[in-house]
Formats: sequence, structure tokens, C-alpha cells
Amino acid sequence: MKTTYIHFLGALILSAIGLTSCEKVIDVDIKDSASQLVIEGTVVDNADMQTIKLSRSVAYTEDNTYPPVSGAQVVVTDSRGFEHNYVERLPGVYISSFKGEPTVTYNMLVKVDGKDYTAKSTMPRPVELDSLSVTEVTFGGEDRKIVAVHYKDPAEFVNQYRFVMWVNGIQTRRVYANNDRLTNGNDVKDELFYSSDDDNKEIVDGDAVEIEMQSIDEPMYKYWVTIADQSQNGPGGGVTPGNPPTNVNNNALGYFSAYVSRRKTITIRETGQ
Amino acid sequence: MLKRHIYQFTILFCLLSVLSASAQKRFTVSGTVRDAQTGETLIGATVRIQNATGQSATATNTYGFYSLTNAAGNYTFTITYTGYQQVTQTVNLTADTKLNINLNSGAELAEVVISAADRKNENVRSPQMGLDKLNMKDLDNIPVIFGEKDVLKTIQLLPGVKSGGEGTTGFFVRGGAADQNLILLDEATVYNSSHLLGFFSTFNADAIKDVSLYKGGMPAQYGGRLSSVLDVVMQDGNNKQFGMEGGIGLIASRVKAEGPIVKDRGSFMISARRTYIDLLLQASPDSSVKGNTLNFYDINAKANYRFDDKNTLYVSGYFGRDNIGIKDLFANQWGNTTATIRLNHVFNSRLFSNTSFIFNKYNYSISLLDDDNNANVTSLIRDFNLKEDLQYFSDKHTIRFGFQGTHHRIAPSEITTNGNSSFNPLSIENRYGLEMAAYVSDEWKLTDKFNLLYGLRLSSFSLLGPGTFNTYDADGEVSSAYKYGSGEFVKTYFNLEPRLSLSYSLNEENSLKAAYNRNTQNIHILTNASTSSPTDQYVMSSNNIQPEIADQVAIGYFKNAKDNTFEFSVETYYKWLQNQIEYKNGAQLIANANVESELLYGSGRAYGLEFYTKKTKGRLTGWISYTLSKTERKFSELNNGNYFPARQDRTHDLALVGIYNLSKRWSVSANYIYSTGNAVTYPAGKYNVGGLTTYYYTQRNANRMPHTERLDLSATLKAKETKRFRSSWSFSLYNALNRKNPYAIQFRDKQNDPNRTEAVQISLFGIIPSVTWNFSF
Repeated sequence: MKTTYIHFLGALILSAIGLTSCEKVIDVDIKDSASQLVIEGTVVDNADMQTIKLSRSVAYTEDNTYPPVSGAQVVVTDSRGFEHNYVERLPGVYISSFKGEPTVTYNMLVKVDGKDYTAKSTMPRPVELDSLSVTEVTFGGEDRKIVAVHYKDPAEFVNQYRFVMWVNGIQTRRVYANNDRLTNGNDVKDELFYSSDDDNKEIVDGDAVEIEMQSIDEPMYKYWVTIADQSQNGPGGGVTPGNPPTNVNNNALGYFSAYVSRRKTITIRETGQ
Repeated sequence: MLKRHIYQFTILFCLLSVLSASAQKRFTVSGTVRDAQTGETLIGATVRIQNATGQSATATNTYGFYSLTNAAGNYTFTITYTGYQQVTQTVNLTADTKLNINLNSGAELAEVVISAADRKNENVRSPQMGLDKLNMKDLDNIPVIFGEKDVLKTIQLLPGVKSGGEGTTGFFVRGGAADQNLILLDEATVYNSSHLLGFFSTFNADAIKDVSLYKGGMPAQYGGRLSSVLDVVMQDGNNKQFGMEGGIGLIASRVKAEGPIVKDRGSFMISARRTYIDLLLQASPDSSVKGNTLNFYDINAKANYRFDDKNTLYVSGYFGRDNIGIKDLFANQWGNTTATIRLNHVFNSRLFSNTSFIFNKYNYSISLLDDDNNANVTSLIRDFNLKEDLQYFSDKHTIRFGFQGTHHRIAPSEITTNGNSSFNPLSIENRYGLEMAAYVSDEWKLTDKFNLLYGLRLSSFSLLGPGTFNTYDADGEVSSAYKYGSGEFVKTYFNLEPRLSLSYSLNEENSLKAAYNRNTQNIHILTNASTSSPTDQYVMSSNNIQPEIADQVAIGYFKNAKDNTFEFSVETYYKWLQNQIEYKNGAQLIANANVESELLYGSGRAYGLEFYTKKTKGRLTGWISYTLSKTERKFSELNNGNYFPARQDRTHDLALVGIYNLSKRWSVSANYIYSTGNAVTYPAGKYNVGGLTTYYYTQRNANRMPHTERLDLSATLKAKETKRFRSSWSFSLYNALNRKNPYAIQFRDKQNDPNRTEAVQISLFGIIPSVTWNFSF
């Protein structure tokens, strides 16, 4: 959380010194990698239908079209002994109708091309998203609106969160992950720093900002925080990127996450609200 | 163990004394070399005595002291120093002689005289290699960003030294990491040498007398870092008359005052500077901008007093602060504090002693000011340091020996809060360490052709209680935890560090040199950024972290031509690095009591070839430096356990620096740099999770950023001088060709075609003009 401040700070210093950092699209020479299986599985508490998507990665130089993987056998068993079989609804999209339950551990098994891929995730206890608020920051003549989430972190448990932000229905590219290492048991205000570097659009008056708060388990926190660290390019160029630590075995990419989901929307109003 | 070594050193020292005493009718001439106008002692001036039967030569030490011994007789005694008029006189050596010399600055004289006054072939003859000395006078003329002359940016133009990135003061020496440079200001360690996240360095050039950078062959009195020693010495101050100087620039101003405390016996110097970017912000018509801060300032101060010919006291200090804040949201402060008290004592004409007591501290604080989110985070590293250094000069030997003891305290993180903050108060246990070293080295003029500088440093590091010390297994889980009481030894490491440099003169103007050195390091920085950041976390060697070790071998060829007008050198080195530290992906470095569980340990290797040609005289001066190098790291958990290029691995680095004196009033200068791009990790594939294009990486740092190329220009105009007042204007153009150099490469979906991905190069600085007005009276 502190590092986000530093990166934010770096951007502010540059803008204050009057350095409009300049962008230019360049050609890069990249060795393409072989395609790999990608598993994205979620079990959510407030949905009646759960989804596991199977696709393949593509080489960097190709289009962002990811071939679905059909004909897989997908099953999730939970710590209470229930077995949930998945059916392929759309190519590569496997569904099963059940509701996720907090504190239950889910075990995923995916059989593709004679290989087994397994992962497990435990759904944390629910934490409610109490409200959203907007802070306006002015520095060096630039206004930035920052949306903050408010929630009460339970003192008796270790909690991890991931936040997803949509501005006017479009998901932003910034990845937010946090835990209660420094905030355990408190009424927490968590500012979701956002800048036009991520999406080429500042948050402005009239925008509707929707936030999903996911209560996630510890391995998923590591997964998201690794992606979040890489996407920030502060002074010095940020950290060396690497693949996030997946909880799926057998060299598959992606993750399997059981989480509690809460959503709220706020409309940005004029300054001085 | 330590005691035994000190004992051995003493024996050795006594033996050598006896040896030299047994020679008949030999006498010593010794003294101090000073600037005639300011009384400032001169470091590294060449002192020579010569007659028909023989000669001997030496260089003045950090305090301007020299000592030469030879058989009784009549000698021609000469002292030479760059930019000063040579002094030649006759010395009749019939008894030990005290001879203090004042040199006149050659600045006002015709250039022919200046060139005659140059040191002769010192760079060729000395066994020391891997050493670069910065001429502080050059600094006035070399163009830099925002017109702020800067020691750290100038050393990045030397061979074997790589810049941490555009505009930054972070640097890498011969494949080492940014935290492997020992940066000393009047012997005090400067932990964070940058201001404003690295765009400026902590060294205010006004206050600095001498800068030496050791890239290899470090003499035994230095230790504690693997890759380099940057030894910065502050000016003493004019002990003849009071004077002031300063400068007014676009974003910072400087002022310095100096003068005698007691004429010819003591002087003081105080120098300060401050940026005023935020004053511009305050002046903004936008009322909401007010209350924001963005500035740094620093103060250098020094005083000295010579009690008599044998005892001189020096007191010096530095204080610097950076402040960044956004009204009602957050405030961030960081900076270094150093204080050094030194006593020079001349025991006799051959034995010189310096005792130093040093305090240094780096700390930062981050305050979150929002009521719901308030927190104050503080962190510091603090050292107390005692050093005793002795130099013994005999005919053929200069023996240096001494000991050092440093007590470290690291307070990793302390969080305090008020009222209903999101954050909880937190205090992470302080860590204490004791670093000890004893060393001896000998510069030995073996024959006319052979010079040898060899030494041994014994270093120890002890991690001290109190506290709970966890040991972690490979998965980062606690495998054992022990409690220690205050002052108890948790873990101690001993290291023997041999140092050896030798030179063989082919003739007066050509020599071959070779060096080997081992260095160890017990203070490590964990940082997310490739250069320094104000929130860098320091950790000490411990039950989990082993001392870092580097071994370096180097050989070189040195040549001077045309009566020292040209200096040429080529050096090649190979370096092995052990116990290098990286942290795991997603590591929590800040406010984490178990930060040592987040680390990976590996090794490294670096090798390279460095060419350096310098023109030291004439209207055109300057240098060309070129480095061909490779720097790799190896960690079993990264890149499938294979070697991968370190981020700062750049194959080619070229720098051209030229300074041309057009007339008595105008001088112009230019820099040109070219370097291969940093080693970076580009994605090899991509996939979609969480609604986002996510990149897949295969090999670490297997790609290259585009190369960097830059031309900087500057011109200095000296205004007409009056008897008391001098001034000059410096105009500079940074990145005169307005080239977009890469700072970072980002990958993202194309805006108008989200089905494609593009690579975007981010550049920081385009062409930046600046003007500075400097004055002195």
C-alpha cells in the first residue's frame, strides 16, 4: 500500500517539475512463446452459477483472441463433501449451478488432453462494503479524483481484498490488492489510486464508478499483488515483471479463486460536493 | 580474534621501523601542502626530491601531509599539482626537516605555465588502478540537467560507471548493484545520495574539495561495500580571508561563506542550497495548489583549527531534507545527517595519525493526513563510527594501518496513528549490528619499475540483540525463533579481505598494472526500484542473510603521451559475486517484521573492458570513455536457475566530454553519451484473466530497451572582474537534440484497436535549457 503512494508521488513530481513525460509506440523484437493452458475459475458467494473458463495463451505478436479449450472434464468438490460437475455452456466456458459458501474450501479438477490440473481455494468470511467516497487531489495544477472504499475489517481473521473498478461500465486496467496487515480490525478507508496512465481517461464529473470488493484468500492475494506491482511504472521503471504465482499446478496459467463479492456504485459530482 | 590481529599488525609495524632505522644517515623531509591564497590543504599533490644519486616521490594524503626519506645530501625539491604553479627549491638534508609549502593557483597565468605545473606520470607510476579522480574545476563546465553541477552525474561519464537511468544519480560500478557503492562524505556513510527521488544528488559541488572513485583495487582502509568507494572530501574553508560565493539557477540557488576563524590557523566553511519549485507552486493563481510542498535543501558545514604543527582538529557535518507533500493528504520527508570529528596528529616526521568519530543517519517519514486514514510511518538507519588510521612513511614503504568500529541501528518501521484511522500502530523491532575491521597495507617501491600496494583487511560483523530472531525455511516459513537479550551476539561473521595492486613501469610513460581485491558487505538495501527510493529498506547480515562477497581481478595498461597532455588507459576486469539478494515476487518490504522471509539468494558475475583517453592540457580538454561489459546474476528460483542479465547490463557505454576555452571570458563544452538499452523483461505471450490482458514471461531480462543517446551543450561567460567581485553566467542545453530516450517500456492494449497490443516507450526529458548565474567575492 505504501509503494502505491511512492509511485503516485513519482508521477506528481514529474508533472510538477513540468516534465510532460512523452510516450511513443515502438517496435519490439520479441521471441514468441508456445501456447499454454489458461484456467480462470471462480466460486462466488452471491451467484447461483459458477464459471470456469479454459483457453490458451497466444504469442505476444498475435491478436488478443484466445482460443477456447473445449471438451474438458471439470469438477469442483468442496470441503463439505459435495461434488459439483461442470458442463460446457459456450466453447471453453464451463458452468455449474451452486452457490459459494464462506469458509468452505473448493477443490478444482480439470482434465484436458489427458492431463490433470488441480487447484484449491477457500472462500473467506464475508466483509461488507460499507460505502464509497471521492477525494479530490490537486497538485501542480492537475486535478485528480480518487475513489475510496470503506469497510470494517474483522479483527479476528486475516483478510485479503481485491478491488475491481469500472468507470461508466468499462473495467479499468489498474489491479488493486490489499490485506489487513496494517489495518486489522479497523474501519478502513482504502484509496484506489487511479490515473490516466492506466486507461487514458481521468475520472471526471458525471462518471459512474462501480467498485467490486472481493474478499480473497492468501494465495490469491499474492497472485493479484504480483500483477499490481508490475503494472506500476514509477521512477526507476518499476519491478522486473514475472508470472504471478498461480495456485493451479502442472504449469497452467491463471487461477482458481473462491471469493465473497460486494459491489457499490458512486456518481462523481461537481467539486465542492 | 580481532585483538590478535591488531597485535600482529603492531609487530609488523615495529619490524619495519627497525628496518628503516638501521639504514645509516637517512633523513626525512615532511610537511603540509596548501593553496597559497586560501590555505586549503591540497590532496594528492606530487612531492619529489631528486639529486644525481637518486630520487624519491610521494603524494600528499587526504590532509595535505607528505613525508619523504632519503640519504643525507642536497636535493632539488619539487611540488606539482594540477592547476597550480610548480614550486622548486633546494633542500639540504642533514637532519629531519619540516617544510610546509604553499602553492599558487595557476588560474591567472598563461596556460603554458599551468601545463608545466602538472603532476608527472603519477597515473602511470602508481600501483593503484581502478581509481578515477574528479577535477572539481571541470565540474563547472560540464553540462548537466537543470544547470545543477553534480558530482554523481559527472562520475557516470567515466568508464565502468553506469547511470541508474535518465536524470538519476544512482550508479552502478563494474556490474555491482546501486547499494554496493560505499559513498563517504568526510568519512561518514551517506546511505541515500539522492534528492527528489534521484534527480539530484546530495553533494553540493560548492562545498566539495576532492572526489575519488575506486572501482577496483580498493586500498585496505576501505571496506563494507562490494563494488566501489566514492570518497568525497569537503572543503576546509579559506583561512586567509572571508569570502562568499553562490549561484542562482532556475530551480535552485546556492550560497557559501568561508573565512578564517583565526588567520592561518583555523577556518570555517558553510554552504547551503535550496530548490524553489514549490515557491513557483505557491505563486500559482490556483488557490488549491497552495499548501503543497516539493523542495529539498541541504547544508554542508566544516571548521578546522590547527593547534600547532602536530595537531589539527576538523569538525564537519551535512544535513539535508526532502519534503514532498500534498495538502491534507500526505507529507513525505527524508534525508541524511552526518557529523564527523577528526583529529590529525603528527607523531613524528614519518608517522601521521587520524582519529575520527563519526555519526550518520538516514531517515524518512511518511504522514498520511486524511483523518480516516491518518498514519505516520518512520524509519531510520543510524551509525556511530570510530576510526583510527595511521600512516607510516619510510624510504620505500608507505604503511597504512588502523581499525574501525561501527555500531548500526536500524529501525525498520514504526507506525503511529490518531483517532479512528484505518491503520493500526505498529512497531517493528530495532536491529543492532557491530561492524569491526582492522587493516594494514603497504605501498612498496620495490624497484624503480616495480610498485606494489598490498594489504589485508579483517572484517567482522555481529548482529546484536535484543529481539526475537526468526530463521526461515525455503518456503519463507518460520523454522525457529530465538529471543536474545540486549547486546547478546546473535550471529557473527568474519571475513579476510586481501587487497593487492602492482604496477610495472615499462618506461617513464608506459606501465602495466594488475589488481586483486576481495570486498564484503553486511548492510543490504531491499528496493523495488532500480535506483534509490526514499523508502529503501535496509537489512543487515543475519542468521538468514549471509554477507555479500565480491572478488575482482583486473589488469590494465597505462600510457601518457606528449608530456602528459594525453593520458590513456585500458583496464579489464572480472568479478565474482556471492550471496546476492533479490526479493520474491509480491514481497512486502515495508513494515514487515518477517521481511527476511521474502528474500532469495544467488550469485553474480561481471566482466568488462574499459578504455579511457583524457586530454589534460591546452585549450581543448576532456575525455573519451568507452566500456564493453557484461553483468549477470543467477538465482535458483529465477529464470530456471540460469544466468540472466542484470537490469543494468549494458553492452556498450560511450561518453565524450569536451571543454574548449574560446577566449579569456568564454568557454564552451559538450557531452555526448551513447549506451545500449537496459536489460528488460518483455512478455513472450499473453492471456486473459480477470477481464484484463495479462502477460506471460519466459526469460528474465532477455530483452533490450532501445539505446540511449544524448548530446548536452553548455557555455560559460565570465563577466568582467572587479577587484573584489567575480561573476559568471552558465547556459546549458540538456538533450540538445531533443531525442526521446527510453525510461520505461509499457505494454498495453491499443486504444483504437483493443484486439491488438502495443509497446509504448516512455521518455522523461526532452530538450531542457537552463541558465545559472554564479558569483563570488
